[in-house]
Amino acid sequence: MNVSDIMIRNIFTAEPDMAIGDALELMKKKHFRHMPVTDSSGTMIGIISDRDLKEASPSIFEGNHKDYMNRPISDVMVTNVITALPMDFAEDAANIMVENDLSCLPVENEEGDLVGIITETDLLKTFVKLTGAANPSSRLEVEVPNESGMLCDVSVLIKEHRMNVQSVLLYPSSEKPDCKILVFRLSTMDMRPLIETLKKQGYNVIWPRELGITL
Amino acid sequence: MTGNAVYIYSNEQLQYKFHDDHPFNQQRLSMTNDLLTETGALNKAEMIPARKATVQELMLIHDEDYIQAVINASEGQVKSSYRTAYGIGTDDTPAFPEMHDAASWLVGGTLEAVDQVFEHGYDHALNLGGGLHHGFRGKASGFCIYNDSSIAIEYMKKKYGARVLYVDTDAHHGDGVQWAFYNDPDVCTLSFHESGRFLFPGTGHVNERGHGDGYGYSFNVPYEAFSEDESMLTLYKAALREVTEYFKPDIILTQNGADSHYYDPLTHLCGTINLYHEIPKLAHELAHEYCDGKWIAVGGGGYDIWRVVPRAWSLLWLVMSEQTGMINGFLPENWVNKWRAASPVNLPGYWHDPQGIYPEIPRRNEIEKKNERTLLNALKPIYQKNKKHVF
Ligand SMILES: [Zn+2]
Repeated sequence: MNVSDIMIRNIFTAEPDMAIGDALELMKKKHFRHMPVTDSSGTMIGIISDRDLKEASPSIFEGNHKDYMNRPISDVMVTNVITALPMDFAEDAANIMVENDLSCLPVENEEGDLVGIITETDLLKTFVKLTGAANPSSRLEVEVPNESGMLCDVSVLIKEHRMNVQSVLLYPSSEKPDCKILVFRLSTMDMRPLIETLKKQGYNVIWPRELGITL
Repeated sequence: MTGNAVYIYSNEQLQYKFHDDHPFNQQRLSMTNDLLTETGALNKAEMIPARKATVQELMLIHDEDYIQAVINASEGQVKSSYRTAYGIGTDDTPAFPEMHDAASWLVGGTLEAVDQVFEHGYDHALNLGGGLHHGFRGKASGFCIYNDSSIAIEYMKKKYGARVLYVDTDAHHGDGVQWAFYNDPDVCTLSFHESGRFLFPGTGHVNERGHGDGYGYSFNVPYEAFSEDESMLTLYKAALREVTEYFKPDIILTQNGADSHYYDPLTHLCGTINLYHEIPKLAHELAHEYCDGKWIAVGGGGYDIWRVVPRAWSLLWLVMSEQTGMINGFLPENWVNKWRAASPVNLPGYWHDPQGIYPEIPRRNEIEKKNERTLLNALKPIYQKNKKHVF
């Protein structure tokens, strides 16, 4: 999954001479928290966030509050903006955001044109999509030995029960180093027939489980 | 009929049957009717028949091509593409003959309930055949074909200009109804359910609060797996009261799935029959307090049809028709004798469950604490709004 798969392409930009007050109002109206600032040729020269603008603002009771609101955003915008490329992996973009404590990341192509933006919300939505919870589905969690072919074996049983897989996660067990955990989301409301088969074949089904059985 | 409530039922509602081994089994309706009759709380002659919803009415919510696919499937013409496109022909919602008619009768029952309240002056109406909350505009899901509650809500909006509060206490998230009105500030949905981390359909997170104009009109209260009566009822009572006070509906529509019981084979909650006595009590009280009595109730899930659903849904009617005085501890002997032979499990002899039907819950305090936190989080938009009014 690349940045271009999850970025927002339809972006609002501001011009550097826009008044701070107007920018704040526009962002409020459009429910944006960030706006890239571009020059007349469309090249990005900075970025503003509603939080930065508000934090820099003198109190409304001070005389210079009105002056501040009339100043151009070029006075306060962040200029050395960290960006991503459309072909960057989504997880790399997420890493950049975490490391630099960013809540948004503009995307530029190799010519330097602004082509999109990624926000925290987009990443969160992507995560929900990847874990499959956006489609009606049930969660199956199975512990398997850390050997080749286990994902395939379990998948075959799922197929035999004609269940459609919405997502799969596979990760090492934190408790047993010789085991892996498989988490599926399956489009069915009733997993009982599959669970029965899995248990009969000796799989350790971690979820769903019955009350009274502690792990 | 008894007091100010009507009971809606037609035999056609029993035709909603996928196959003999499917967990969704409408024999629960016959067993409930029977239990109420034997109790002396329902006179079969006074039941109001359901009706068959028209295609026009289905189209208040559903897409035309989806309805056409259901009609085709009813006539045995199921294409394999229907499975992914329309959710028909899957193991959850396999095609069956006359499925369109059967599903339309369930919808018609809920529409009849609406008309009984708005046109015939009844305060309350009950259609236990309704509550198919997983049905989407263009897709069957989770045993549900047409979404009677969504259709009835749209019908009430259009025909009577009503603002509706939809309250869903099924163990599964009321996703179909929530998404149908996600952008609508005139319909408020409130769903209590086992957390999507543990149970189908996976949605119903607290932060699903509505979108656009509808933001703040969608509420979700997910319970931890293995939650018990006390914790679930604390959350239910607090949230329902707050949301009703905040939204001030014209009418309350409650979905009464009976699958949060410990015995239910599809879910992982630890409710007892007490839950199904308490849930309708508060809905009843609030309908009188805020809606001039207007309250419609429908059924929903419920997959232990022997030990749970007949008692749970009978209690719903007894509360609605103010006949709870008829409960004297024991279930009518005639009812137990009649169904005992067919039942694969021991039928209960009492209205309420005895103590200790399930083992000790590990991490009980943690579950309760998590649930309390969920409640505060779920009601955040109301607390924020209230604060704004104060200052
Ligand atoms: Zn359910």
